[in-house]
Amino acid sequence: MSELIRLEHIVKSFDDTMVLNGIDLSIAENEFVTLLGPSGCGKTTTLRIIGGFEKPDEGRVWFDGKDITDLPANQRHLNTVFQNYALFPHMTVGENIAFGMRVKHKSEQYIKDKIKYALKLVNLDGFQNRRIDQMSGGQQQRIAMARAIVNEPRVLLLDEPLGALDLKLRQEMQYELVRLKKELGITFLYITHDQEEALTMSDKVVVMNNGYIQQQGTPEEIYDEPVNAFVADFIGDSNILDGQMTAEKVVRIDGVDYPCIDGTEQGFPPRLMVDVVIRPEDIDIVPYGQGQWNGTIISKLFIGVHYEMLVQSEDGKIEWLLQNYDQHDVGEKIGMKVDPENIQIMHKPKSEAESAIELDI
Amino acid sequence: MKKTIGRIYILIIMLFLYLPILTLIVLSFNDAKSMSVWTGFSLHWYEELFQSRLMMGAIVNTFSIAILAALIATVVGTLAVLGMAAMKPRQENVLMAFNNIPMLNADIVTGIALMLFFLMVSWPRGYMSILFAHTTFCIPYVILSVRPRLNKNTDRLFEAALDLGASEKYAFRKIVLPELKPGIMSGFLLSFTMSVDDFIITYFTRGAGINTISTLIYSEVKIGIRPSLFALSTIIFVTALVVLIIVNVRQNRLDKEMARSA
Repeated sequence: MSELIRLEHIVKSFDDTMVLNGIDLSIAENEFVTLLGPSGCGKTTTLRIIGGFEKPDEGRVWFDGKDITDLPANQRHLNTVFQNYALFPHMTVGENIAFGMRVKHKSEQYIKDKIKYALKLVNLDGFQNRRIDQMSGGQQQRIAMARAIVNEPRVLLLDEPLGALDLKLRQEMQYELVRLKKELGITFLYITHDQEEALTMSDKVVVMNNGYIQQQGTPEEIYDEPVNAFVADFIGDSNILDGQMTAEKVVRIDGVDYPCIDGTEQGFPPRLMVDVVIRPEDIDIVPYGQGQWNGTIISKLFIGVHYEMLVQSEDGKIEWLLQNYDQHDVGEKIGMKVDPENIQIMHKPKSEAESAIELDI
Repeated sequence: MKKTIGRIYILIIMLFLYLPILTLIVLSFNDAKSMSVWTGFSLHWYEELFQSRLMMGAIVNTFSIAILAALIATVVGTLAVLGMAAMKPRQENVLMAFNNIPMLNADIVTGIALMLFFLMVSWPRGYMSILFAHTTFCIPYVILSVRPRLNKNTDRLFEAALDLGASEKYAFRKIVLPELKPGIMSGFLLSFTMSVDDFIITYFTRGAGINTISTLIYSEVKIGIRPSLFALSTIIFVTALVVLIIVNVRQNRLDKEMARSA
């Protein structure tokens, strides 16, 4: 896959607030990339810079090998699906979709065919004469998609397009989006603060916080091997603990030594203080005394598929979050164990920027 | 019982509101000049009205000034809103405060101030000075009714239009302007009504020999009012009523159409 968009050290501040602290990002042709992060992390600003609605203070934006940093929004070969859809309220559904083509002086026949095609694509066949305020939120979202894709953009920018929909509709639309992307064969740059959305749909997830890119990779990489506590905490539930390497490939947490798969070769020599992430579903429950450590269940919550439990360690210092399909009662004493490959060792934050990120959690 | 009391209550309110106007209309058809005795139906006060050059002149002045002042104020006010929207919030707030002062200011103060201003720059007082004065006091109302229409939402729509490839001019004309239209229309109508209604400011800024309806009635009252003025008032009232009915009927039809297509 060839590179379509490249951001080169993008810096942006509003008044005195730093919003982007040097973003480097590469997006390949036909890739589904998601910018994921909490509100105020700079993801929307990044999108607006690519869309041409903001100018970066420093850095360059490359599109298909050309520098488009100073190119105005109306001359870029990309289209945006805005957060609140930004449909034109005084126009019908059809006129909304036709807008971009009218600007480019396409023939009426072409416009008619294209509206029909686009409405069919988003499952709104025959709605072109409706008024915008007669459409539901989900339908408006589809119209916004249709209005963007009839212009045959090479990249579609989507700014939290599902944010205003209810949960069920949101899940349906996730499948729709993936289907659309396949049918159109174009690049999607998607913005969300919903980690589930990001993991479900993307080829590549870019986790952002405080104007920095924290980590980028496939959904599996991001979930299984978070590089720092922020990413681990933001992507799914996890136990994030203080630890120290006590020997080669052995980490000590709360006085217990656990074998793990990271050692000097991976940059974690003995005696190093580290952060450790253990996902709650990776902790196995065994009879009391037969595991690596013991604890008492202090709360239990049934959340659909599995149970979520809080387990207090024997000395009372640590509360472990566990997810398990089997039911155990509150007050029960249990043993626990975890496989070495499910222990994720991370460096403690060092630089000032990284500790700032840390504080923000 | 409760219902009857309610109906009587409404009747009393209606009487208080419309009985005076009804009296005026009836008297405009009275044969005699009397304001209390009905001597028979006649249209000759209407005849006198249309034959009086003084009154016809006042009517033409009133409405031409109102339309021109409202038009100019609407254009200037809308442009001002566009400029203000591009400012920093603090600058805009200061400007908005200045915009609100003339509306709260007593008409008599505005009137005298404008008169002094015209005297100072030795601008001959007449049609143009009234037009200038009316335009001045209408602009704040236009700004006040257009400004709320230009908000984050219109910014987003403008960006969406640019995103679809439109030039800034085209996006403004096709997307932003239609969004502002209701505000612009109500600003225009407000200005028009304020201008037709005005007496005090007109009184201080007009020259000798020029009259609007309100100043004419005022000078007539001093020498004894003639029923042809009742006729004039009746025409104005009926015109306003007809316009109101047309607007309402049209709105009703639009609403119904909308409900049907839904």
